[in-house]
Amino acid sequence: MTHTINLTAQSRPEVMERVLRVVRHRGFALNSVEMNNCTTSNTLSIKLTVSGERPISNLENQLKKLYDVSQLELCQTQGMNESAVAMNA
Amino acid sequence: MTGAELVLKVLQQHGIKHIFGYPGGAIMPIYDALYDSDVQHFLCRHEQGAAFSAIGYARSTGTVGVCMATSGPGATNLVTGLADAMMDSVPVVAITGQVFSSLIGTDAFQEMDVLGMSLSITKHSFLVQSLDELADVLHQAFELAQSGRPGPVLVDIPKDIQIGSVDFEPYPIAQREFPTPSQDDIAQARDMIGAAQKPLFYVGGGVGAADAINEMQDLLEYTQIPAISTLKALGTVPTEYPYNLGFVGMHGNQAANLAVQECDLLICTGARFDDRVTGKLDTFAPHAKVIHLDIDPAEISKLRKADVSILANFKKLLPELKVAPHTPEWLARASGLIAEYAWRYDYPGEQIYAPRLLNQLSKTLPHDHVVSCDVGQHQMWVAQHMLFTSPRNHLSSGGAGTMGFGLPVAIGAQVARPDSVSVVVSGDGSFMMNVQELGTIKRFNLPVKIVLLDNQRLGMVKQWQELFFEERYSETNLSDNPDFVTLAKAFDIPALSIDKADQVDNALQTMINSDGPFLLHVQIDDKENVWPLVPPGKANDDMLEGNNT
Ligand SMILES: Cc1ncc(C[n+]2csc(CCOP(=O)(O)OP(=O)(O)O)c2C)c(N)n1
Repeated sequence: MTHTINLTAQSRPEVMERVLRVVRHRGFALNSVEMNNCTTSNTLSIKLTVSGERPISNLENQLKKLYDVSQLELCQTQGMNESAVAMNA
Repeated sequence: MTGAELVLKVLQQHGIKHIFGYPGGAIMPIYDALYDSDVQHFLCRHEQGAAFSAIGYARSTGTVGVCMATSGPGATNLVTGLADAMMDSVPVVAITGQVFSSLIGTDAFQEMDVLGMSLSITKHSFLVQSLDELADVLHQAFELAQSGRPGPVLVDIPKDIQIGSVDFEPYPIAQREFPTPSQDDIAQARDMIGAAQKPLFYVGGGVGAADAINEMQDLLEYTQIPAISTLKALGTVPTEYPYNLGFVGMHGNQAANLAVQECDLLICTGARFDDRVTGKLDTFAPHAKVIHLDIDPAEISKLRKADVSILANFKKLLPELKVAPHTPEWLARASGLIAEYAWRYDYPGEQIYAPRLLNQLSKTLPHDHVVSCDVGQHQMWVAQHMLFTSPRNHLSSGGAGTMGFGLPVAIGAQVARPDSVSVVVSGDGSFMMNVQELGTIKRFNLPVKIVLLDNQRLGMVKQWQELFFEERYSETNLSDNPDFVTLAKAFDIPALSIDKADQVDNALQTMINSDGPFLLHVQIDDKENVWPLVPPGKANDDMLEGNNT
């Protein structure tokens, strides 16, 4: 499964590290990343493409928890059915 | 004023009276400002001790704890404590000195990338970039540590910022904000509770963190729904509540583990389906629908799908869930389980049986007490056999399971609650991990009572070797321990050693009646294990039982 996520974050020197660390630790591989610094609003816009088998909602929630992240949007998901970590209804 | 003086002003604005730390080159301006400040500093004997004391301070009161260290090795020594606070959602603010801004990135003396190290072990962290942002960053640190799901926040302050001059401006402390739950979700949860035949509250540390212990107790009283508790929740459900099924999970009470397997509605209240609770996840509560109540959206459906989830301030939410289902058969079943699986203390022989000693200790302690423990078999015995009236009175390293936690946490609790009896229950392995903090106890003459359960083993690891590694006891024998009584005496702390069951009563009285600190060294059988036990990877109804349960 491949997912594209758009993020807006406050511009602090270590924001990219925080985002990439969460992606790795929560079980996703990074396929591509694009970052632009908007100096007028002091924000970063980040576009990530990640792949992994865990539910993407878990990664979304963890990224939203980052204090510097102000907005997050899951734009696209491609691939097989989501197979979650053991989940029983 | 200087940046260093500003740091102390901000601490005072946030009501901080006590801090724990250790000085060094890069934080000397702050220590210099401390010299004239009303904030009382407790010099620990290791920065890890300072971090854990801040945790003990925070957890025993529900307020924020503060620790401080210098750059480089001072900061790295805080790391384990901050990681522990992260896993157990404890509001701690750590302040570290950093080398001059111009030296960052030059491999200067004691210059390390503390911000980089902090990323995975704090809720958030700051490297202060300029004097202008110093006050704001510190205020944010205090707000963040305590808001939403609490956690540790680190502020790394370069030395040039500490010595620069800055104006102090009063700062309005913001009102805390909470998510507003949807009335539809609340209505749905109420319907599910009303319709359930076998409802069960699964109570976690989030209730205490939200300061909603009274609201939880009122809700139980009203609904009469049976309840199970995580390690961190112990003390939330009143011990006299007739449907208190007790501690759930790997070393939990059989009653709790069986009830969870039978329930048809699990109301998860500030808990997170940790693997030590659930055993094999896809066998956990197999017949239950789940209502998940929390403050952290990332916990919802992380491991177990929630049928209804509500993110809210528990103080407001819990009273809205007062629906009393009519489930006489289920209540009879819960009562039956509680009676059937009550702990037993009829242990034969002359030796000291640790579970009985701990149960006795609980009954002997004055009402106002706080128990910290270390990690291992003794930690599980504390959870099983001691009785608590609040989660603030039971301080145990849950998520991280950090040996060395107990002694410095008991120090922090004693500083925060000088009128409470602060007791630490430790094992001979764990005790040696922060034994230097006996120096802190003596320095401040803190009347911390230490119960050291000495089985001359890394008991919990030995137990797993016995059960799962064919009794191959690799590196778990501690029969060359120091003489703990002599060790305590070297710190001028009175101590007593016992090894017979008939000495326990007097020894506990002597310890509790002592004015200052006291170490009670208790020699126990190295063969004693913690029962029951859900083997790793098994379902919770697949518990192993030993001889003495
Ligand atoms: C810092 C740390 N290192 C290692 C462990 C792994 N560990 C868990 S329990 C345990 C043994 C603890 O021995 P002791 O403190 O004597 O307690 P007992 O189990 O004998 O009651 C060990 C080594 C840990 N939890 N924490």
